[in-house]
Amino acid sequence: MDSNISKYADMQKAIQMELEKLETEEATLIEGLNNMLNQKVFLEDKVKGLSKLIPSLKVIKNEAQDLVNTVNDISDSSEKISSKIRSLDKARSRVDECQLRVSDLIDLEICSQGVQAAILDSDYEKGAAHVHRFLSMDQSLLKRTANDMDNVSNMLKSVRTLQDAASQLRAIVEHKFNEAVTTEDLLSIERFFKIFPLLGMHEEGIKEFCTYLRSKVCLVADKNLKSAINTPVSDKRYSVIYADTLTLLFEGLARVLDKHQPLIETYYGPGRLLSAISILQKECDVQTKRVLLEWARSRQIHKKVQQINELSRMSSSSSFSKMEKIDPKDLDILIGEITLMHYRTELYIKFIQRKVTSDADVGIPNQDERTKVVQSLEKLIKNSELSQCKHELLSHYLRLEQYYMEESVAKAVAMDTLEPGQQTSSMVDDTFFIIRKCIRRSISTGSLDGICVIINNACRVLESDFGEILRQRLRQGYPSGYLDLTQAYNVLHTSIQQGRLQSGDTEQSRTAFVVALNNADSSTDYIDALCEYVMKEIGQSVPNLNANEKGKLESCLSGLSSVTTNLKDLIEYGTQQLRSTAIKPRINPWVDAFLNANHHLTEDELSAYEAGESFVQTLIMNLETLLSSFKDILSSSNYDLFTQVLTAEVTNRFEKVIKKCTFNRLGGLVLDKEVRSLAGYMTANTSWSVRDKFARLTQMATVLNLEQVAEIHDYWGSHDGALTWRLTPSELRSVLSLRTDFKVEDIRRLKL
Amino acid sequence: MDDYKFLFKVVLVGNAGVGKTCLVRRFTQGLFPPGQGATIGVDFMIKTVEVGNEKVKLQIWDTAGQERFRSITQSYYRSAHALILVYDISCQPTFDCLTDWLREIEEYASCKVLRVLVGNKIDREDREIPTHVGEEFAERHNMYYLETSAKQSDNVERLFMQIAEDLMKQARSRDLPRYNSNHQNINGTTTPISDSSCCSGKFINAIVIFGKPTACIHCS
Repeated sequence: MDSNISKYADMQKAIQMELEKLETEEATLIEGLNNMLNQKVFLEDKVKGLSKLIPSLKVIKNEAQDLVNTVNDISDSSEKISSKIRSLDKARSRVDECQLRVSDLIDLEICSQGVQAAILDSDYEKGAAHVHRFLSMDQSLLKRTANDMDNVSNMLKSVRTLQDAASQLRAIVEHKFNEAVTTEDLLSIERFFKIFPLLGMHEEGIKEFCTYLRSKVCLVADKNLKSAINTPVSDKRYSVIYADTLTLLFEGLARVLDKHQPLIETYYGPGRLLSAISILQKECDVQTKRVLLEWARSRQIHKKVQQINELSRMSSSSSFSKMEKIDPKDLDILIGEITLMHYRTELYIKFIQRKVTSDADVGIPNQDERTKVVQSLEKLIKNSELSQCKHELLSHYLRLEQYYMEESVAKAVAMDTLEPGQQTSSMVDDTFFIIRKCIRRSISTGSLDGICVIINNACRVLESDFGEILRQRLRQGYPSGYLDLTQAYNVLHTSIQQGRLQSGDTEQSRTAFVVALNNADSSTDYIDALCEYVMKEIGQSVPNLNANEKGKLESCLSGLSSVTTNLKDLIEYGTQQLRSTAIKPRINPWVDAFLNANHHLTEDELSAYEAGESFVQTLIMNLETLLSSFKDILSSSNYDLFTQVLTAEVTNRFEKVIKKCTFNRLGGLVLDKEVRSLAGYMTANTSWSVRDKFARLTQMATVLNLEQVAEIHDYWGSHDGALTWRLTPSELRSVLSLRTDFKVEDIRRLKL
Repeated sequence: MDDYKFLFKVVLVGNAGVGKTCLVRRFTQGLFPPGQGATIGVDFMIKTVEVGNEKVKLQIWDTAGQERFRSITQSYYRSAHALILVYDISCQPTFDCLTDWLREIEEYASCKVLRVLVGNKIDREDREIPTHVGEEFAERHNMYYLETSAKQSDNVERLFMQIAEDLMKQARSRDLPRYNSNHQNINGTTTPISDSSCCSGKFINAIVIFGKPTACIHCS
């Protein structure tokens, strides 16, 4: 039962749940239905609206279809139109061509008719203009026209007529031009010259015309040369008459070029100057060569050069001076003429280069072709007789100038004199005058190579011919002479007894030595000035040197500085000579006198010593005499060197002598005073700062002037009052030990 | 830029057309310019080379071979440190002229100039002067000998480098006595300076060093 009851209970529960479920479902459905009901009106409205739209959509569809059709139509028709235009265009160009052919044909006809008439009328300009028109026609087009035409023979006839006429005209013009040249009919010459380019004969025209110009130049040059040859010696231009002739030639050529360049440019177009110049250059070559031949004959240049060559060969061998020498002065004018000729040639070449280059710059736009023109110009110039002549001139110049320099310097050296009161002799002024003159002359040739050679030669002459003389004189040495009066007296005495007196000789060789030393010194100044002068002068006369040329020049000028170096060595050598013969033997006894003085003084002796003539007073007096004997005769920088050497000698010797003496306190005091006054004198009386040279000596004196050994610490060490010592610790100890009153142990104990 | 330790002048001489300019061009610019025209006067080139970590500046003077430039070219011999005498191995006359060139060198150049004989154009098939003939000539006249081809760049570098090295060695050994010779003469008499007459003829270049019997600038 129970089980049944529970069964029912369960069943009831299940039914209950089922019921609940159904109820909720119902509720949901009702809600849904309500919603539907609510929307019904809205939806119905929408459906109504849509059904209203349907008819208008149909209309739109039809209209769109129409539009598509229309666009298609338009595209079709535009396609048709453009093809028509294209064919029209073609047609038009054909018409153009046709017109051109027709006009060519008409012109051809006119030209062929006109040209004959013009030739018959001698109206060559008109004829040439017809031919020019014919030539400017497109020949291939003409040929095509002929193929297209029925009436070929007519046209071909015209062409042939014109071709015939052209060659006929060419012949006539050439002939007439030549005729005009022979009759010197300037107007006709110019007239036909202008016709050549119309007939396409540019090169021929220039050639004919320039050949004509050439003949004109030739005539003038002939005349000029004749008058040069007939110039009397008395004429004031006689010495440069050939340079004048050459100048006239170049000026004439330049004028011809200047005058006719515009003509050529107008009728032939720019860029054709090189052709003109290459023809004129031939005449220039011929005439230059003639002038130079005549010049060489008249001035006997080859004979002179040969003589000079022989002379230089002779001088290197021993058998010299049998030949008659040429006086360098006689060459002066000739050298001047050569430099002038060379310079003019150089100028003319530069003129041509400038002309052609600027013409090419204007007339030839193509870079490569322009380079080609410039290159062929360079080749033209390089291979021209003119350049050859220029090189020969330079070669003659260099030979003569070299001889002139050598001989003149040799003369200057041989005629060397010393004016009283002068420190240097005449050879320095004279030599540098000559060298400067030669270099200036080389600069006036306008050739850098020439300048460099003359500078090289100047270096050689200065080093060997000039410097060698100075060296020889210095090598003789400075005679030491007599050391003191007694010796001098003795020698003098015996000399007088034996009837000969040498002091004059000694005096002379002393002077010679001193003068040579001064000469060397002043030469270095001259060389510096010369270098400066050359640089300045070249900057003006030969401007626009490129880097390479500058390097060349500088390298040659550096040869001059090596001359200076050699001269400085020479001066050094001379000064050392003075040291050993003029300074040492005198100074040594003077300083050695210190050994004889008493250095262990009592108070009384000190005052007596100070009252009398002290050692240092005598020394200063002696030095004064020595210095003053050299002060006026040596050049100032040599005198400086002299005082340097003198000071070094005095201090060295003094040091040695001090080391040989012993001192007491007062002896040290006196020494210190004496060293100070000596240093003071030397400093005051020489321009050279000698303090440095006295440093060791002063320090020795300071050491010897100490009260006690321990005082040295005031000066030694790294504190403020310390000196920069020139003496080593061991030297210092040995100097200290010269003081007899200092104990050896104290000195040894010092910590230095 | 200009920091070099040594500067040497090298001068090339020899007949026209033996290839002096080509040798110089090849060395300084690495070019072989065909159809080179004749040199006018002298040309001047510079090349700095390195020898054992030292910069050496070579000043190369390329002279014209033609007779009419002789008065220009001769003036450069004197200051030359090295002279390169060039001939064309395919042209007997250029070899025959060597003795004339040597005479000129004797006359104008310093006696201690470094002299080098160069047979150029060994690229040519038509050799006329065998190597041993050139060698013998060089030996007889105390010169170095080298055969080169500027066209194929054979031995050109070697030629100039060899010269630079030799000149440097020379300069170094020359420096030493110069600086050591400043000892002073104490005895108080004039020491005559004797000529060591090594320099031929008229061009004696003397530097004088006190107390030392010497001195030709090129030989000391």
